[in-house]
Amino acid sequence: MTAAARPLPSHEPPDALLQAKADGAPPVLKFEKVGFSYDGRTIMRDVSFAVAPGDILALLGPSGCGKTTILNMVAGFLRPTAGVAVVDGREITGPGPDRGVVFQAAALFDWMTVAENIAFSLRCAGARKGERRAVAEEMAALVGLTGFEDAYPYQLSGGMRQRVGLARVLAAKPKVMLMDEPFSALDVQTRESLQEEVLRIRDRTGCTILFVTHAIDEAAFLGDRIFLLNDLKAGAYDTFDVDLPTPRASPDNRLHPSFLRLRETIYRRMRH
Amino acid sequence: MNRSDERRERLRYVLVATLSPLAILALWAFAAARGWTSPIILPPPSAIWASFLDMAANGYSGVSLWTHVAASLARVSVAYVAGAALGVGLGLLRGRSRLIDAVLLAPAELLRPIPPLGLIPLFILWFGVGETSKVLLIFLSVLLIMMVNAQAGVRASSLDSLRAAQSMGANRWQVFRFVVLPSALPQIMTGLRVAMGTALTILVASELLGGDRGLGFLILDASSFFRTTYVFAGVAVIGLIGLATDRGLAWAGRRIVHWEGRR
Ligand SMILES: Nc1ncnc2c1ncn2[C@@H]1O[C@H](COP(=O)(O)OP(=O)(O)OP(=O)(O)O)[C@@H](O)[C@H]1O
Ligand SMILES: [Mg+2]
Repeated sequence: MTAAARPLPSHEPPDALLQAKADGAPPVLKFEKVGFSYDGRTIMRDVSFAVAPGDILALLGPSGCGKTTILNMVAGFLRPTAGVAVVDGREITGPGPDRGVVFQAAALFDWMTVAENIAFSLRCAGARKGERRAVAEEMAALVGLTGFEDAYPYQLSGGMRQRVGLARVLAAKPKVMLMDEPFSALDVQTRESLQEEVLRIRDRTGCTILFVTHAIDEAAFLGDRIFLLNDLKAGAYDTFDVDLPTPRASPDNRLHPSFLRLRETIYRRMRH
Repeated sequence: MNRSDERRERLRYVLVATLSPLAILALWAFAAARGWTSPIILPPPSAIWASFLDMAANGYSGVSLWTHVAASLARVSVAYVAGAALGVGLGLLRGRSRLIDAVLLAPAELLRPIPPLGLIPLFILWFGVGETSKVLLIFLSVLLIMMVNAQAGVRASSLDSLRAAQSMGANRWQVFRFVVLPSALPQIMTGLRVAMGTALTILVASELLGGDRGLGFLILDASSFFRTTYVFAGVAVIGLIGLATDRGLAWAGRRIVHWEGRR
């Protein structure tokens, strides 16, 4: 593909999208004509898409369009009011450790240390103390928090708290990671370094990631594919494939012509 | 604020907190010395102190002061611990289960606005004037206070933290144990302090009912013989017990819910 962007027609039939990737790996996540209403008020209808394993899908769209609602349905916090949401071939019926959520406000457990926060999923699964500690230290190292294992969340900066939120999800070894504007409250430097962190983590773990964001830059830098959600009530959105050199985490990609072009394309599309 | 500033700040707090009661005492002593008050109504602090020393050495009404203190403390601690345990348990259950909440709603909310002292005649009728009435009265007030606070505490857990726990594989019990309970602790600790104050109030009132032991009895007995200095000494002992337990609970609260207010 030469151009960075490949806008698809808004009403593309689901079948084409269900073919998540050219190499034909079965999608890890699939929406089939999903609809959702809050107390009878329909906010989306007939939304279909699929995500290939190891892909990062960035969801971009105006405030209130339903990004968080999509994420909450994947997480299992909300049930679709129409259609089906499928993870790993099974319909989603509730929350589970195969889908980890990184919250916008971190939502750490303030009464637990960093290590206890990170190892929470292991504790729930009945792992022994020694194992929990080992995993906590490993994950803390992975997100650059070595030395803070015994600190409490209130002793950390905002960026560090998000790193804990990330490490805590990673420790559960989820198939899919769901991130709802996790870095939007952080300063530019922290945000960019965490974006690179996410890409490195994906490379290392092969995790599939759904990333909600308001920022075109963030979507274009992080995503393998971007959905611009412009009319979910009609199940319509634009798709952009990102084509940037690997390793994707390289900061140089922020200046890559392909990145700049994609950014412009999306910007124009949003403003059209 | 740096460390030494913080230390100075704390030192000043402790200093002022100590000096203010001393200033009141000094003013009081001064007023008494100038003869502005009658010794029967407001005896000087020195006379109260003397009565206290007399009670400490020779006891009151045939038993030692410490027996009175111990009798009061025994009543209040049995009732407080049992009332708090059951109240917290019921409050947490009400917060977690709508069915249990529905069952307990009317009985608890009907009982709660009744001033416990209004129940004294009924309790005497049912349980006599002995220990049972006293302990049950304190128990009931503590229970009701703790139930309200624990139930409110359950609602303090944030939706995100509940969802985070669920999405990391926590089952119902684990969500409760690791998220709901810790989130409820700040409110429970506050409730424990309120309940302690109430428990001491009810204790003294219930000891006015009768019996020959306890600080409430001591105060009532001394006042009926116009031994005002002994009344004051007894009141002061109760006040000091209240102060000590409240400081103790506040200190414990800061240690247990160390994360509170630090975000
Ligand atoms: N709990 C709720 N009850 C009723 N309506 C809701 C609820 N949550 C969201 N909505 C509505 O659903 C729509 C989509 O909300 P959603 O939170 O998914 O938007 P979003 O795309 O995440 O927005 P933002 O970018 O501002 O976070 C909005 O119009 C909102 O008013
Ligand atoms: Mg949102």
